[in-house]
Amino acid sequence: MPDQAQKTRPTAPSPGGGGEGPVSPKVDKPNVEELLKRMRKVDPDQAKRYRQRTGQ
Amino acid sequence: MTPPLIQFGLETEIGIARDTEGEVDVVAESIALVRSATQPGVWMCWDYESEDPHADMRGFRVQELRQDADEANYFAQDAQRELSQAEIKSDLVLGNGARFYNDHAHPEYCTPECSTLAELLAHDRAGEHILMACAKELSEQSRTTVRLYKNNTDFCGHSYGCHENYLLPRSLPWEYLAQAMQAFLVTRQVFAGAGKFALEAEDRFVAAGFQIAQRSDFFSELQSVDTMQRRPIINTRDEPHANPSLYRRFHVILGDANMSPFATRLKVGTTALVLEALVRDPKRKYPRLAHPLAALPAVSRDQTFRWELRLQDDVPSTALEVQWAYLKAVKDLCHLDHPEQAELVTDWETVLADLAADYRRCRDRLDWTAKLALVREFQAAQKIPDEHPWLQSLDLEYHRLDASEGLYYGLEQSGAMRHVPDETASLQAVQHPPASTRAYVRGKCVQKFAGAILSAQWDHITLQGSDGPIKLSLLDLFAPEEILHYAAVVDAARTPDDLKALANVPS
Repeated sequence: MPDQAQKTRPTAPSPGGGGEGPVSPKVDKPNVEELLKRMRKVDPDQAKRYRQRTGQ
Repeated sequence: MTPPLIQFGLETEIGIARDTEGEVDVVAESIALVRSATQPGVWMCWDYESEDPHADMRGFRVQELRQDADEANYFAQDAQRELSQAEIKSDLVLGNGARFYNDHAHPEYCTPECSTLAELLAHDRAGEHILMACAKELSEQSRTTVRLYKNNTDFCGHSYGCHENYLLPRSLPWEYLAQAMQAFLVTRQVFAGAGKFALEAEDRFVAAGFQIAQRSDFFSELQSVDTMQRRPIINTRDEPHANPSLYRRFHVILGDANMSPFATRLKVGTTALVLEALVRDPKRKYPRLAHPLAALPAVSRDQTFRWELRLQDDVPSTALEVQWAYLKAVKDLCHLDHPEQAELVTDWETVLADLAADYRRCRDRLDWTAKLALVREFQAAQKIPDEHPWLQSLDLEYHRLDASEGLYYGLEQSGAMRHVPDETASLQAVQHPPASTRAYVRGKCVQKFAGAILSAQWDHITLQGSDGPIKLSLLDLFAPEEILHYAAVVDAARTPDDLKALANVPS
Protein backbone atom coordinates (compact mmCIF):
# COMPACT_ATOMS: atom_id res chain seq x y z
CA MET A 1 0.00 0.00 0.00
CA PRO A 2 2.68 2.63 0.74
CA ASP A 3 4.09 2.15 -2.76
CA GLN A 4 0.68 2.61 -4.25
CA ALA A 5 0.08 5.73 -2.16
CA GLN A 6 3.42 7.22 -3.18
CA LYS A 7 2.84 6.50 -6.81
CA THR A 8 -0.47 8.37 -6.74
CA ARG A 9 0.65 11.55 -5.01
CA PRO A 10 -0.19 14.62 -7.12
CA THR A 11 2.86 15.47 -9.16
CA ALA A 12 2.06 17.74 -12.04
CA PRO A 13 -0.25 20.56 -13.02
CA SER A 14 -3.42 19.58 -14.78
CA PRO A 15 -3.03 19.31 -18.53
CA GLY A 16 -6.34 21.02 -19.00
CA GLY A 17 -9.15 19.14 -17.30
CA GLY A 18 -10.53 22.18 -15.52
CA GLY A 19 -6.99 23.51 -15.44
CA GLU A 20 -7.19 24.23 -11.74
CA GLY A 21 -5.31 21.58 -9.89
CA PRO A 22 -2.73 18.84 -9.93
CA VAL A 23 -3.60 15.44 -11.34
CA SER A 24 -2.46 12.05 -10.15
CA PRO A 25 -0.32 9.92 -12.40
CA LYS A 26 -2.17 7.16 -14.18
CA VAL A 27 -3.10 4.39 -11.80
CA ASP A 28 -1.39 1.12 -12.55
CA LYS A 29 -3.90 -1.60 -13.20
CA PRO A 30 -4.14 -3.50 -9.94
CA ASN A 31 -3.69 -7.21 -9.84
CA VAL A 32 -7.22 -8.45 -9.34
CA GLU A 33 -6.78 -12.03 -10.60
CA GLU A 34 -7.89 -13.48 -7.26
CA LEU A 35 -10.82 -11.12 -7.15
CA LEU A 36 -11.91 -12.13 -10.65
CA LYS A 37 -12.03 -15.71 -9.38
CA ARG A 38 -14.23 -14.53 -6.51
CA MET A 39 -16.46 -12.78 -9.04
CA ARG A 40 -16.90 -15.96 -11.07
CA LYS A 41 -18.52 -17.52 -8.01
CA VAL A 42 -21.18 -14.81 -7.77
CA ASP A 43 -24.56 -16.23 -8.73
CA PRO A 44 -25.56 -14.34 -11.90
CA ASP A 45 -29.18 -14.34 -10.74
CA GLN A 46 -28.71 -13.24 -7.15
CA ALA A 47 -29.80 -9.65 -7.85
CA LYS A 48 -33.05 -10.97 -9.36
CA ARG A 49 -33.92 -12.55 -6.02
CA TYR A 50 -32.79 -9.56 -3.98
CA ARG A 51 -35.92 -7.67 -3.04
CA GLN A 52 -36.12 -5.02 -0.34
CA ARG A 53 -38.73 -2.69 1.02
CA THR A 54 -38.38 1.00 0.29
CA GLY A 55 -36.57 2.72 3.11
CA GLN A 56 -35.74 6.31 3.76
CA MET B 1 -5.49 24.78 16.03
CA THR B 2 -9.26 25.37 16.21
CA PRO B 3 -11.57 22.37 16.20
CA PRO B 4 -13.67 21.94 13.06
CA LEU B 5 -16.80 24.08 13.23
CA ILE B 6 -19.28 21.45 12.12
CA GLN B 7 -20.04 18.09 13.72
CA PHE B 8 -21.41 15.24 11.66
CA GLY B 9 -22.67 11.68 11.66
CA LEU B 10 -24.00 9.03 9.29
CA GLU B 11 -27.11 6.85 9.44
CA THR B 12 -26.95 3.90 7.08
CA GLU B 13 -29.80 1.56 6.19
CA ILE B 14 -28.56 -1.86 5.20
CA GLY B 15 -30.00 -4.32 2.70
CA ILE B 16 -30.56 -7.84 4.01
CA ALA B 17 -31.05 -11.24 2.37
CA ARG B 18 -30.78 -14.87 3.32
CA ASP B 19 -29.69 -17.92 1.31
CA THR B 20 -32.97 -19.76 1.47
CA GLU B 21 -35.70 -21.03 -0.78
CA GLY B 22 -38.70 -18.78 -1.21
CA GLU B 23 -39.38 -15.22 -0.25
CA VAL B 24 -37.51 -13.58 2.59
CA ASP B 25 -39.44 -11.58 5.18
CA VAL B 26 -37.01 -8.67 5.32
CA VAL B 27 -38.69 -7.14 8.36
CA ALA B 28 -38.31 -10.35 10.37
CA GLU B 29 -34.73 -10.69 9.17
CA SER B 30 -33.92 -7.12 10.10
CA ILE B 31 -35.39 -7.54 13.59
CA ALA B 32 -33.53 -10.82 14.07
CA LEU B 33 -30.28 -9.29 12.89
CA VAL B 34 -30.39 -6.38 15.32
CA ARG B 35 -31.40 -8.72 18.15
CA SER B 36 -28.40 -10.93 17.44
CA ALA B 37 -26.04 -8.10 18.40
CA THR B 38 -23.48 -9.21 20.93
CA GLN B 39 -22.02 -5.80 21.67
CA PRO B 40 -22.86 -4.46 25.12
CA GLY B 41 -25.60 -1.88 24.97
CA VAL B 42 -28.94 -0.75 26.27
CA TRP B 43 -32.02 -2.24 24.64
CA MET B 44 -35.36 -0.65 23.85
CA CYS B 45 -34.98 2.58 25.75
CA TRP B 46 -34.96 5.00 22.81
CA ASP B 47 -37.10 8.02 23.60
CA TYR B 48 -39.42 8.53 20.61
CA GLU B 49 -41.48 11.13 22.46
CA SER B 50 -39.13 13.94 21.54
CA GLU B 51 -38.99 13.15 17.81
CA ASP B 52 -41.09 15.04 15.31
CA PRO B 53 -40.41 14.24 11.65
CA HIS B 54 -43.28 16.55 10.62
CA ALA B 55 -41.48 19.73 11.71
CA ASP B 56 -40.30 21.71 8.67
CA MET B 57 -37.28 24.05 8.49
CA ARG B 58 -39.39 26.54 6.58
CA GLY B 59 -41.24 27.38 9.76
CA PHE B 60 -44.29 25.14 9.74
CA ARG B 61 -45.37 21.64 10.64
CA VAL B 62 -46.73 19.44 7.85
CA GLN B 63 -50.01 17.65 8.49
CA GLU B 64 -48.73 14.38 7.13
CA LEU B 65 -45.78 12.82 5.37
CA ARG B 66 -46.31 11.05 2.06
CA GLN B 67 -45.17 7.88 3.77
CA ASP B 68 -47.71 8.10 6.60
CA ALA B 69 -50.23 5.85 4.81
CA ASP B 70 -47.57 3.22 4.09
CA GLU B 71 -46.34 3.47 7.65
CA ALA B 72 -49.87 2.86 8.95
CA ASN B 73 -50.09 -0.25 6.74
CA TYR B 74 -46.74 -1.51 7.97
CA PHE B 75 -47.80 -0.79 11.53
CA ALA B 76 -50.92 -2.95 11.00
CA GLN B 77 -48.81 -5.75 9.47
CA ASP B 78 -46.29 -5.53 12.27
CA ALA B 79 -49.09 -5.81 14.83
CA GLN B 80 -49.49 -9.44 13.64
CA ARG B 81 -45.92 -10.32 14.56
CA GLU B 82 -46.52 -11.11 18.21
CA LEU B 83 -43.84 -8.62 19.12
CA SER B 84 -44.34 -5.26 20.77
CA GLN B 85 -43.47 -2.14 18.78
CA ALA B 86 -40.43 -1.72 21.03
CA GLU B 87 -39.34 -5.28 20.22
CA ILE B 88 -39.87 -4.68 16.51
CA LYS B 89 -37.73 -1.56 16.62
CA SER B 90 -35.24 -3.29 18.94
CA ASP B 91 -33.38 -0.06 19.56
CA LEU B 92 -29.91 -0.61 20.85
CA VAL B 93 -27.72 2.18 22.19
CA LEU B 94 -24.14 0.99 22.12
CA GLY B 95 -21.18 1.68 24.34
CA ASN B 96 -19.50 3.52 21.46
CA GLY B 97 -22.32 6.06 21.44
CA ALA B 98 -23.94 4.66 18.27
CA ARG B 99 -27.57 3.72 17.70
CA PHE B 100 -28.43 0.42 16.01
CA TYR B 101 -32.03 -0.59 15.31
CA ASN B 102 -34.59 -1.92 12.87
CA ASP B 103 -35.86 1.02 10.84
CA HIS B 104 -39.02 -0.52 9.31
CA ALA B 105 -37.37 -3.13 7.15
CA HIS B 106 -33.69 -2.34 7.30
CA PRO B 107 -31.08 -2.67 10.00
CA GLU B 108 -29.84 0.87 10.51
CA TYR B 109 -26.51 1.82 12.01
CA CYS B 110 -26.15 5.43 13.16
CA THR B 111 -22.64 6.53 14.01
CA PRO B 112 -22.14 8.62 17.10
CA GLU B 113 -21.61 12.33 16.56
CA CYS B 114 -18.06 12.99 15.32
CA SER B 115 -16.04 16.18 15.08
CA THR B 116 -13.23 14.90 12.87
CA LEU B 117 -13.22 12.88 9.68
CA ALA B 118 -10.84 10.37 11.24
CA GLU B 119 -13.43 9.70 13.94
CA LEU B 120 -16.19 9.37 11.39
CA LEU B 121 -14.28 6.90 9.21
CA ALA B 122 -13.40 4.81 12.24
CA HIS B 123 -17.02 4.73 13.39
CA ASP B 124 -18.45 4.08 9.94
CA ARG B 125 -16.15 1.09 9.59
CA ALA B 126 -16.88 0.08 13.20
CA GLY B 127 -20.52 -0.14 12.13
CA GLU B 128 -19.52 -2.54 9.35
CA HIS B 129 -17.69 -4.70 11.91
CA ILE B 130 -20.72 -4.74 14.20
CA LEU B 131 -23.09 -5.60 11.35
CA MET B 132 -20.81 -8.38 10.11
CA ALA B 133 -20.64 -9.84 13.61
CA CYS B 134 -24.45 -9.83 13.75
CA ALA B 135 -24.70 -11.56 10.36
CA LYS B 136 -22.22 -14.21 11.48
CA GLU B 137 -24.12 -14.80 14.71
CA LEU B 138 -27.50 -15.01 12.98
CA SER B 139 -26.14 -17.25 10.21
CA GLU B 140 -24.75 -19.66 12.79
CA GLN B 141 -27.98 -19.65 14.79
CA SER B 142 -30.12 -20.37 11.74
CA ARG B 143 -27.59 -22.40 9.73
CA THR B 144 -28.25 -20.38 6.61
CA THR B 145 -26.14 -17.52 5.34
CA VAL B 146 -27.44 -14.04 6.10
CA ARG B 147 -26.15 -11.50 3.60
CA LEU B 148 -25.84 -7.79 4.30
CA TYR B 149 -25.35 -5.09 1.68
CA LYS B 150 -24.22 -1.52 2.32
CA ASN B 151 -25.88 -0.15 -0.80
CA ASN B 152 -29.00 1.81 -1.68
CA THR B 153 -31.21 -0.21 -4.00
CA ASP B 154 -32.63 -3.59 -4.96
CA PHE B 155 -32.55 -2.55 -8.67
CA CYS B 156 -36.36 -2.60 -8.71
CA GLY B 157 -37.02 0.90 -7.43
CA HIS B 158 -36.83 0.14 -3.72
CA SER B 159 -34.24 2.52 -2.37
CA TYR B 160 -32.95 2.97 1.15
CA GLY B 161 -30.67 5.64 2.44
CA CYS B 162 -27.36 6.63 3.85
CA HIS B 163 -28.22 9.93 5.47
CA GLU B 164 -25.72 12.52 6.59
CA ASN B 165 -26.24 14.90 9.48
CA TYR B 166 -24.44 18.19 9.94
CA LEU B 167 -24.92 20.33 13.04
CA LEU B 168 -25.02 24.02 12.18
CA PRO B 169 -25.69 27.29 13.97
CA ARG B 170 -29.34 28.25 13.69
CA SER B 171 -28.24 31.76 12.79
CA LEU B 172 -27.57 30.59 9.22
CA PRO B 173 -30.87 31.42 7.48
CA TRP B 174 -32.56 28.38 5.98
CA GLU B 175 -33.24 30.07 2.63
CA TYR B 176 -29.53 30.74 2.07
CA LEU B 177 -28.62 27.23 3.16
CA ALA B 178 -31.20 25.51 0.97
CA GLN B 179 -30.35 27.58 -2.09
CA ALA B 180 -26.58 27.40 -1.78
CA MET B 181 -26.38 23.65 -1.14
CA GLN B 182 -28.54 22.57 -4.07
CA ALA B 183 -25.94 22.73 -6.86
CA PHE B 184 -23.26 21.33 -4.57
CA LEU B 185 -25.30 18.27 -3.65
CA VAL B 186 -26.39 17.61 -7.23
CA THR B 187 -22.81 17.72 -8.52
CA ARG B 188 -20.83 16.07 -5.73
CA GLN B 189 -21.99 12.68 -7.02
CA VAL B 190 -19.07 12.83 -9.47
CA PHE B 191 -16.88 11.76 -6.55
CA ALA B 192 -19.41 10.58 -3.94
CA GLY B 193 -21.46 8.24 -6.15
CA ALA B 194 -21.19 4.52 -5.44
CA GLY B 195 -21.99 3.50 -9.04
CA LYS B 196 -24.92 1.39 -10.22
CA PHE B 197 -25.51 -1.06 -13.06
CA ALA B 198 -29.18 -0.16 -13.52
CA LEU B 199 -31.45 2.70 -14.39
CA GLU B 200 -34.48 2.87 -12.10
CA ALA B 201 -37.57 4.89 -11.32
CA GLU B 202 -39.10 5.36 -7.88
CA ASP B 203 -41.04 2.11 -8.18
CA ARG B 204 -39.40 -0.03 -10.84
CA PHE B 205 -36.41 -1.21 -12.84
CA VAL B 206 -36.19 0.81 -16.06
CA ALA B 207 -33.24 -0.48 -18.06
CA ALA B 208 -29.76 -1.92 -17.88
CA GLY B 209 -26.88 0.52 -17.96
CA PHE B 210 -24.27 2.11 -15.76
CA GLN B 211 -24.60 5.34 -13.82
CA ILE B 212 -22.28 6.91 -11.28
CA ALA B 213 -24.73 7.15 -8.35
CA GLN B 214 -27.16 4.73 -6.72
CA ARG B 215 -29.64 7.28 -5.36
CA SER B 216 -29.97 9.80 -8.19
CA ASP B 217 -32.95 8.01 -9.74
CA PHE B 218 -35.09 8.66 -6.67
CA PHE B 219 -35.49 12.43 -6.26
CA SER B 220 -38.43 14.40 -7.57
CA GLU B 221 -38.80 17.49 -5.34
CA LEU B 222 -36.51 20.44 -4.69
CA GLN B 223 -37.40 20.75 -1.00
CA SER B 224 -39.68 18.83 1.33
CA VAL B 225 -39.81 17.09 4.65
CA ASP B 226 -40.38 13.66 3.06
CA THR B 227 -37.78 10.92 2.95
CA MET B 228 -39.47 7.82 1.49
CA GLN B 229 -41.60 9.00 -1.41
CA ARG B 230 -41.08 11.88 -3.81
CA ARG B 231 -37.82 12.53 -2.05
CA PRO B 232 -36.37 16.04 -2.13
CA ILE B 233 -32.85 17.19 -3.01
CA ILE B 234 -33.01 19.37 0.11
CA ASN B 235 -34.68 17.71 3.07
CA THR B 236 -36.43 20.22 5.31
CA ARG B 237 -36.92 18.05 8.39
CA ASP B 238 -36.39 20.25 11.42
CA GLU B 239 -35.18 17.98 14.18
CA PRO B 240 -31.96 19.50 15.47
CA HIS B 241 -31.43 17.00 18.30
CA ALA B 242 -29.87 20.01 19.98
CA ASN B 243 -31.02 23.33 21.44
CA PRO B 244 -33.45 24.44 18.70
CA SER B 245 -32.90 28.11 19.35
CA LEU B 246 -29.17 27.77 18.64
CA TYR B 247 -28.76 24.88 16.22
CA ARG B 248 -30.16 23.24 13.15
CA ARG B 249 -29.33 19.82 11.77
CA PHE B 250 -28.86 19.71 8.00
CA HIS B 251 -30.19 16.28 7.05
CA VAL B 252 -28.80 15.19 3.67
CA ILE B 253 -30.71 12.26 2.19
CA LEU B 254 -29.53 12.08 -1.41
CA GLY B 255 -26.08 10.57 -0.88
CA ASP B 256 -25.01 7.01 -1.58
CA ALA B 257 -23.65 4.58 0.99
CA ASN B 258 -19.94 4.44 0.26
CA MET B 259 -17.74 1.41 0.72
CA SER B 260 -14.58 3.39 0.03
CA PRO B 261 -13.54 5.34 3.13
CA PHE B 262 -11.83 7.86 0.85
CA ALA B 263 -15.21 8.53 -0.82
CA THR B 264 -16.97 8.78 2.55
CA ARG B 265 -14.33 11.21 3.74
CA LEU B 266 -14.58 13.34 0.60
CA LYS B 267 -18.40 13.30 0.66
CA VAL B 268 -18.78 14.32 4.29
CA GLY B 269 -15.67 16.46 4.51
CA THR B 270 -16.40 18.64 1.48
CA THR B 271 -20.04 19.02 2.49
CA ALA B 272 -19.00 20.14 5.97
CA LEU B 273 -16.52 22.61 4.50
CA VAL B 274 -19.06 24.08 2.10
CA LEU B 275 -21.45 24.47 5.04
CA GLU B 276 -18.69 26.17 7.00
CA ALA B 277 -18.08 28.57 4.11
CA LEU B 278 -21.78 29.31 4.08
CA VAL B 279 -21.82 30.00 7.81
CA ARG B 280 -18.91 32.40 7.38
CA ASP B 281 -20.51 34.24 4.46
CA PRO B 282 -24.17 33.33 3.86
CA LYS B 283 -24.56 35.94 1.13
CA ARG B 284 -21.81 34.75 -1.19
CA LYS B 285 -23.08 33.83 -4.64
CA TYR B 286 -22.90 30.12 -5.41
CA PRO B 287 -23.71 28.41 -8.73
CA ARG B 288 -27.42 27.94 -9.36
CA LEU B 289 -28.58 25.15 -11.62
CA ALA B 290 -31.21 25.85 -14.25
CA HIS B 291 -32.84 22.44 -13.76
CA PRO B 292 -31.61 20.75 -10.59
CA LEU B 293 -34.09 17.87 -10.60
CA ALA B 294 -33.27 17.00 -14.20
CA ALA B 295 -29.53 17.52 -13.68
CA LEU B 296 -29.33 14.99 -10.85
CA PRO B 297 -30.09 11.87 -12.94
CA ALA B 298 -28.63 13.41 -16.10
CA VAL B 299 -25.23 13.83 -14.45
CA SER B 300 -25.45 10.37 -12.94
CA ARG B 301 -26.32 8.73 -16.27
CA ASP B 302 -23.97 10.70 -18.53
CA GLN B 303 -21.92 8.11 -20.41
CA THR B 304 -19.47 10.74 -21.65
CA PHE B 305 -18.38 11.54 -18.07
CA ARG B 306 -18.18 15.20 -19.06
CA TRP B 307 -21.27 15.94 -16.91
CA GLU B 308 -22.45 18.97 -18.83
CA LEU B 309 -25.36 20.93 -17.38
CA ARG B 310 -26.97 24.33 -17.49
CA LEU B 311 -26.75 27.04 -14.88
CA GLN B 312 -29.35 29.75 -14.42
CA ASP B 313 -29.90 31.93 -17.49
CA ASP B 314 -29.04 28.88 -19.58
CA VAL B 315 -25.30 29.27 -19.05
CA PRO B 316 -23.48 26.07 -20.07
CA SER B 317 -21.27 24.51 -17.44
CA THR B 318 -20.24 21.14 -16.03
CA ALA B 319 -20.52 19.38 -12.69
CA LEU B 320 -16.77 19.72 -12.30
CA GLU B 321 -16.85 23.48 -12.88
CA VAL B 322 -19.58 23.78 -10.28
CA GLN B 323 -17.44 21.83 -7.83
CA TRP B 324 -14.44 24.07 -8.56
CA ALA B 325 -16.60 27.08 -7.67
CA TYR B 326 -17.48 25.58 -4.29
CA LEU B 327 -13.88 24.60 -3.71
CA LYS B 328 -12.83 28.21 -4.34
CA ALA B 329 -15.40 29.43 -1.81
CA VAL B 330 -14.01 27.00 0.76
CA LYS B 331 -10.47 28.22 0.14
CA ASP B 332 -11.58 31.84 0.36
CA LEU B 333 -13.64 31.53 3.52
CA CYS B 334 -12.78 28.53 5.68
CA HIS B 335 -10.06 28.39 8.30
CA LEU B 336 -8.21 25.38 6.99
CA ASP B 337 -5.84 25.20 9.92
CA HIS B 338 -6.86 21.72 11.02
CA PRO B 339 -4.50 19.32 9.21
CA GLU B 340 -7.25 16.98 8.08
CA GLN B 341 -9.13 19.85 6.44
CA ALA B 342 -6.06 21.04 4.55
CA GLU B 343 -5.38 17.49 3.37
CA LEU B 344 -9.00 17.08 2.38
CA VAL B 345 -8.95 20.19 0.21
CA THR B 346 -5.84 18.90 -1.56
CA ASP B 347 -7.57 15.56 -2.20
CA TRP B 348 -10.71 17.32 -3.42
CA GLU B 349 -8.67 19.34 -5.92
CA THR B 350 -6.78 16.30 -7.11
CA VAL B 351 -9.91 14.23 -7.59
CA LEU B 352 -11.60 16.97 -9.61
CA ALA B 353 -8.53 17.32 -11.80
CA ASP B 354 -8.23 13.54 -12.17
CA LEU B 355 -11.89 13.19 -13.14
CA ALA B 356 -11.43 15.86 -15.77
CA ALA B 357 -8.32 14.20 -17.16
CA ASP B 358 -9.55 10.58 -17.07
CA TYR B 359 -11.99 9.14 -14.55
CA ARG B 360 -10.01 5.89 -14.49
CA ARG B 361 -7.30 7.70 -12.53
CA CYS B 362 -9.69 7.58 -9.58
CA ARG B 363 -10.25 3.83 -9.55
CA ASP B 364 -8.01 3.58 -6.48
CA ARG B 365 -10.15 5.98 -4.42
CA LEU B 366 -13.77 6.38 -5.55
CA ASP B 367 -16.46 3.72 -5.45
CA TRP B 368 -18.02 4.28 -8.84
CA THR B 369 -14.73 4.27 -10.69
CA ALA B 370 -13.44 1.23 -8.78
CA LYS B 371 -16.66 -0.68 -9.37
CA LEU B 372 -16.89 0.27 -13.04
CA ALA B 373 -13.28 -0.69 -13.77
CA LEU B 374 -13.55 -4.01 -11.94
CA VAL B 375 -16.86 -5.06 -13.44
CA ARG B 376 -15.84 -4.02 -16.96
CA GLU B 377 -12.67 -6.10 -16.61
CA PHE B 378 -14.70 -9.11 -15.57
CA GLN B 379 -17.32 -8.43 -18.23
CA ALA B 380 -14.66 -8.37 -20.95
CA ALA B 381 -13.03 -11.56 -19.69
CA GLN B 382 -16.35 -13.41 -19.48
CA LYS B 383 -17.88 -11.76 -22.56
CA ILE B 384 -20.99 -10.70 -20.67
CA PRO B 385 -23.39 -8.45 -22.59
CA ASP B 386 -24.35 -5.09 -21.08
CA GLU B 387 -27.93 -6.18 -20.45
CA HIS B 388 -27.03 -9.30 -18.49
CA PRO B 389 -28.38 -9.37 -14.90
CA TRP B 390 -25.03 -10.77 -13.75
CA LEU B 391 -23.77 -7.17 -13.76
CA GLN B 392 -26.33 -6.24 -11.12
CA SER B 393 -25.38 -9.29 -9.08
CA LEU B 394 -21.73 -8.20 -9.21
CA ASP B 395 -22.78 -4.65 -8.34
CA LEU B 396 -24.61 -6.01 -5.30
CA GLU B 397 -21.62 -8.09 -4.31
CA TYR B 398 -19.39 -5.01 -4.39
CA HIS B 399 -21.39 -3.82 -1.36
CA ARG B 400 -21.48 -7.12 0.52
CA LEU B 401 -20.51 -6.77 4.16
CA ASP B 402 -18.36 -9.87 4.30
CA ALA B 403 -14.60 -9.51 4.31
CA SER B 404 -14.03 -12.80 2.51
CA GLU B 405 -16.78 -12.42 -0.10
CA GLY B 406 -17.47 -8.72 -0.68
CA LEU B 407 -15.87 -7.31 -3.81
CA TYR B 408 -14.99 -3.93 -2.34
CA TYR B 409 -13.14 -5.64 0.49
CA GLY B 410 -11.45 -7.78 -2.15
CA LEU B 411 -10.16 -4.62 -3.82
CA GLU B 412 -8.78 -3.42 -0.50
CA GLN B 413 -7.14 -6.79 0.11
CA SER B 414 -5.53 -6.75 -3.31
CA GLY B 415 -3.98 -3.35 -2.57
CA ALA B 416 -6.06 -1.61 -5.20
CA MET B 417 -7.54 1.04 -2.90
CA ARG B 418 -5.83 4.00 -1.25
CA HIS B 419 -6.71 5.54 2.10
CA VAL B 420 -7.77 2.29 3.67
CA PRO B 421 -8.40 3.24 7.29
CA ASP B 422 -6.32 2.07 10.18
CA GLU B 423 -8.03 -1.10 11.32
CA THR B 424 -6.86 -0.47 14.89
CA ALA B 425 -8.89 2.74 15.00
CA SER B 426 -12.05 1.12 13.63
CA LEU B 427 -11.78 -1.86 15.98
CA GLN B 428 -11.33 0.54 18.87
CA ALA B 429 -14.38 2.47 17.67
CA VAL B 430 -16.49 -0.69 18.02
CA GLN B 431 -16.06 -0.32 21.78
CA HIS B 432 -15.33 3.34 22.42
CA PRO B 433 -17.12 6.61 21.65
CA PRO B 434 -15.39 9.62 20.09
CA ALA B 435 -13.78 11.62 22.88
CA SER B 436 -14.45 14.96 21.22
CA THR B 437 -18.27 15.04 21.20
CA ARG B 438 -21.23 14.54 23.51
CA ALA B 439 -21.37 10.93 22.26
CA TYR B 440 -18.66 10.30 24.84
CA VAL B 441 -21.16 10.93 27.65
CA ARG B 442 -23.76 8.64 26.07
CA GLY B 443 -21.26 5.88 25.36
CA LYS B 444 -19.64 5.99 28.78
CA CYS B 445 -23.03 5.97 30.53
CA VAL B 446 -23.92 2.85 28.52
CA GLN B 447 -20.59 1.24 29.40
CA LYS B 448 -20.78 2.04 33.11
CA PHE B 449 -24.46 2.22 34.02
CA ALA B 450 -26.39 0.26 31.38
CA GLY B 451 -28.75 -1.23 33.95
CA ALA B 452 -29.73 2.19 35.24
CA ILE B 453 -30.53 3.83 31.89
CA LEU B 454 -34.23 4.60 31.62
CA SER B 455 -34.22 6.37 28.26
CA ALA B 456 -31.83 7.75 25.69
CA GLN B 457 -31.92 10.12 22.73
CA TRP B 458 -29.26 12.01 20.83
CA ASP B 459 -29.79 15.03 23.06
CA HIS B 460 -30.42 13.48 26.46
CA ILE B 461 -30.01 10.43 28.59
CA THR B 462 -31.97 9.57 31.73
CA LEU B 463 -30.71 7.26 34.43
CA GLN B 464 -32.29 5.88 37.57
CA GLY B 465 -30.72 7.46 40.64
CA SER B 466 -31.22 6.39 44.23
CA ASP B 467 -33.92 8.97 44.77
CA GLY B 468 -35.39 9.36 41.30
CA PRO B 469 -34.51 9.78 37.63
CA ILE B 470 -31.43 11.80 36.68
CA LYS B 471 -31.77 13.44 33.29
CA LEU B 472 -28.59 14.59 31.59
CA SER B 473 -29.36 17.13 28.91
CA LEU B 474 -26.92 17.03 26.00
CA LEU B 475 -28.80 19.73 24.08
CA ASP B 476 -26.00 22.28 24.36
CA LEU B 477 -23.00 20.05 24.86
CA PHE B 478 -20.75 21.02 21.95
CA ALA B 479 -18.01 23.26 23.36
CA PRO B 480 -14.78 21.22 23.71
CA GLU B 481 -14.04 22.44 27.24
CA GLU B 482 -17.55 21.54 28.40
CA ILE B 483 -17.29 18.09 26.85
CA LEU B 484 -14.03 17.59 28.73
CA HIS B 485 -15.76 18.57 31.97
CA TYR B 486 -18.66 16.16 31.37
CA ALA B 487 -16.23 13.42 30.39
CA ALA B 488 -14.23 13.87 33.60
CA VAL B 489 -17.38 13.63 35.73
CA VAL B 490 -18.65 10.54 33.89
CA ASP B 491 -15.22 8.89 34.04
CA ALA B 492 -15.01 9.48 37.79
CA ALA B 493 -18.59 8.46 38.56
CA ARG B 494 -19.04 5.23 40.49
CA THR B 495 -22.84 5.32 40.59
CA PRO B 496 -25.49 7.22 38.59
CA ASP B 497 -25.92 9.48 41.60
CA ASP B 498 -22.45 10.84 40.93
CA LEU B 499 -23.84 12.31 37.69
CA LYS B 500 -26.28 14.55 39.51
CA ALA B 501 -23.87 17.46 39.27
CA LEU B 502 -24.26 17.35 35.48
CA ALA B 503 -28.03 17.11 35.71
CA ASN B 504 -28.02 20.39 37.64
CA VAL B 505 -26.09 22.26 34.95
CA PRO B 506 -28.59 24.63 33.32
CA SER B 507 -28.90 24.13 29.58
